[in-house]
Amino acid sequence: MNNPATITSVNQGLLEKLDPEGKLNLASCLQCARCSAGCTMRLETDILPHQMNRMVLMGMEDELLKSKAIWTCVSCHTCVSRCPMKVDTPALVDKLREMTQTAPSQDLEKINIFNNEMLKSMKQFGRVYELGMMGFYKMRARDLFSDLAKFPTMLLKGKMKIFPPRTRAAKSVSAIFDKVRARRAKR
Amino acid sequence: MKYAFFPGCSMESTAGDFRMSTLAVAEALGVELEEIPDWSCCGSTPAHATDSLLAASLPARNLAIAQDMGKDVVVCCASCYSRLASANVALAENADLRAQVAEITGREYAGGLKIRHFLQVLNEDIGLSEIKDSVVKSLSGLKVACYYGCLLTRPKELSILNDPEDPQLMDNIMAAAGAEPVEWPYKTECCGASFSITRTETVERLSGDILRMAKQSGADCIVAACPLCQSNLDLRQADVEKATGEKIGLPVFYFTQLLGHALGIPDAALGINKLMVDPSAILAR
Repeated sequence: MNNPATITSVNQGLLEKLDPEGKLNLASCLQCARCSAGCTMRLETDILPHQMNRMVLMGMEDELLKSKAIWTCVSCHTCVSRCPMKVDTPALVDKLREMTQTAPSQDLEKINIFNNEMLKSMKQFGRVYELGMMGFYKMRARDLFSDLAKFPTMLLKGKMKIFPPRTRAAKSVSAIFDKVRARRAKR
Repeated sequence: MKYAFFPGCSMESTAGDFRMSTLAVAEALGVELEEIPDWSCCGSTPAHATDSLLAASLPARNLAIAQDMGKDVVVCCASCYSRLASANVALAENADLRAQVAEITGREYAGGLKIRHFLQVLNEDIGLSEIKDSVVKSLSGLKVACYYGCLLTRPKELSILNDPEDPQLMDNIMAAAGAEPVEWPYKTECCGASFSITRTETVERLSGDILRMAKQSGADCIVAACPLCQSNLDLRQADVEKATGEKIGLPVFYFTQLLGHALGIPDAALGINKLMVDPSAILAR
């Protein structure tokens, strides 16, 4: 996106699609930018929260889905808690992330890989197996060597468990994932 | 006082010391924390960032089990608190979601449980005067920066705090234990959370700002109430120092560790030896 102010495609239904019941108050945005002034990730994002809200009203679906912003959002909720109109930008970001399969760069794709590995760990064990999840993440993200020096100390201090959690919950949690996925496929 | 306790995955490994110190403090103050049987992961950020139905269903399973215990649910991890509290509200408000989640989890839960953070139990149920009376080793002279981070603070509807810009729950407890909470402006800034793994430089910048501000404000140490905040400020502190060449050297405790120390609980039972930045000098004073 060279110039975020240039509208290349207009999808009037985007607001309706993202917030059919008007719960996110996106149309109430005053463009005061209080959200953006406090945004934790303001230095690293490409679209600031108030810009994102306006882009939804303008129907800029492609630009939003390809943005860095939906990945760099750290879900700190500073924007919505300071918003005079209670525009729920973090919920908007979650909805946009739900519509997106891959991140726009290799660097940001690491966030996607991390999320997926953590979900896999939950599904398999019912609880997150931190050491195993980190191993898979590091392989998939091709990030084998960072923080390696920390692992021996963490293991020595008992800050990382070597073996995965064993719970009776695993089976029912796995069933929850399967049922959610089946519903998602139908949607 | 009895509660249904949800420890969460971090407390089982990286935040084992948060768990140890929470249970030790609870016991010392006559609080019974009964673990929710067969609890499972709350879903954390990966669930809410990928599927809203999954984000409601994973906490709902735990809430449905806790419902049979007939007690308030107590959580220590800020992220688990946020996910459980958020699902609790969504399920109570939205009948359609409730029906879908019941079908997915195979358990009925209609909302109605109270989800509370351990800080609330200490402030509201135990009370500050009781805590004060139980202190055997006052923290007097210790300047503490209380760090609340995001998920106990925001969004307002789920916040455990009266003032999301200048919270006091931890400050009150530290003061009751004899310490001197410092005034500082970064109490509710974000540490960078799980970007610790995926965008390490981001976390070094954000957590570095928090650490330096705490130091500039005259703190001897930081207390935190979230496994990820604690880990980013403690485990990443050496990386922050390396990146800037500036020594920080601030121990980062869980509030339960420092309170437990004041209550006379041995440091080993509080997992204080698990901290990365060595706190022995400030505890020996």
